[in-house]
Amino acid sequence: MSKYELGIVDTRNILKTIQEHYDYDFRNYALTFFKRRLEYIIKKYNLKSADHLIKEIINNESFFQLFLKEICVENTEMFRDPSLWRYLMNNFLTPIIQKSTSYKIWFPEVSSGEELYSLVILLAELNLLEHVEIHASSISEIRMNKVKQGVFDSSKMEINEANFKRVFRNKDLNDYCTIKNGEGYINPPLLENIKFFRQNAIFGQYPRKVKLIMWRNQMLYYNQILKERMLKTMNSCLVAGGHLIIGLNEKIDYWNSNSDFILVEENNSVYRKKL
Amino acid sequence: MYQAVIIGGSAGSFKVITSILSALPKNYPVPLLLNLHRLKHVRSGFVEALALKSNIPVVEPYDKDSIKPATAYLAPSNYHMYIELNKKIALSTEEAINHSRPSIDLSFITAAQTYHRNLVGIILSGANKDGAWGLKKIKDEGGTAIVQDPKECEISTMPQAALNTTEVNYVYSKDQIINFLLKIKQ
Repeated sequence: MSKYELGIVDTRNILKTIQEHYDYDFRNYALTFFKRRLEYIIKKYNLKSADHLIKEIINNESFFQLFLKEICVENTEMFRDPSLWRYLMNNFLTPIIQKSTSYKIWFPEVSSGEELYSLVILLAELNLLEHVEIHASSISEIRMNKVKQGVFDSSKMEINEANFKRVFRNKDLNDYCTIKNGEGYINPPLLENIKFFRQNAIFGQYPRKVKLIMWRNQMLYYNQILKERMLKTMNSCLVAGGHLIIGLNEKIDYWNSNSDFILVEENNSVYRKKL
Repeated sequence: MYQAVIIGGSAGSFKVITSILSALPKNYPVPLLLNLHRLKHVRSGFVEALALKSNIPVVEPYDKDSIKPATAYLAPSNYHMYIELNKKIALSTEEAINHSRPSIDLSFITAAQTYHRNLVGIILSGANKDGAWGLKKIKDEGGTAIVQDPKECEISTMPQAALNTTEVNYVYSKDQIINFLLKIKQ
């Protein structure tokens, strides 16, 4: 487990370099997370030092794209926390979407795609896919292009299938995806109508009048300041009564946050924007 | 003196942990950080089972929770649990380390960087090598490294791996571990 250890000063220099050269401001990411991620990148790409990393970031745009891909933490698996997906299936999606004229869903950070794939599979099972408008964004062009093609890491298939069975007892995940040359692919029709767009690190652009935001385990990597700022952003793009779903061990607890959000399903971290 | 105790274990550690939790008083002077491998999907029930006979609250922390004395923090299923320098919990869904998420090594290493010599690290019964590296880091930072006696463990792979990696301070039976923990004063 030995690895390159980065100092705080080096970390800050890298943050500054990125901010000066690109439209990405990571200064309010959780510092220890960011430092850890930088160390991982330095090791993975055989860089010698922080200076070497800085040089690559400045001079090599295609390296910077790889850098963004690595900063962006992958989703762990499809149907992570099966109880949430069962809740969405049995208690949440059907009544709410059928009542709605246009139901807009946003994945602010689509990452490696598993959360998005899980939702479109669930919607297909419920015959609701035609009734929704899905927007998906990512800070990483590379990740986003993979998700557009429906690619996923086939080594996660075992856990994907185990989770899937916990949601849909008698169905088969293989009806929705195929494994080709060692890579997993979601069936293309499931992703046909999704609108993808690139995001900078602090969400400079976002869709309006969204009814559901799926944003699980993303705030883990922010500091308190960015966490609060982003939650306010999420709040402003939701319609009144719209929902925000965050990770099971995340919570919304900034000062006066209960005038913005109400926790409606504690076991699954489902919040609603106040009317 | 000691400011925190961190414990790692997997198969065979559950009973040891419940014995420890039932022995500690409700005003225990330091926090207990627990990282126990378990089935990923057994989300509910585990923390309740641990809390049943415990005198101190057992919680699965939320991200950015502050670490307080007289509380046991159990690494939530399918998250890594880091200990931050400002004595808060940081959770993460980053890659599994040696097939483990939570990784005992990651919790131990970051706790060592936060508490240095004021930390006790304990490796209990378990079926893989996770935690061995982390315990070494605790020792290197001046903390106290304890391993449950492999002869007493249901599965000795984990304590044995720790012993192979680190010159630990003590190899203790379950009862000796409890006695040691009871002597901790602030």
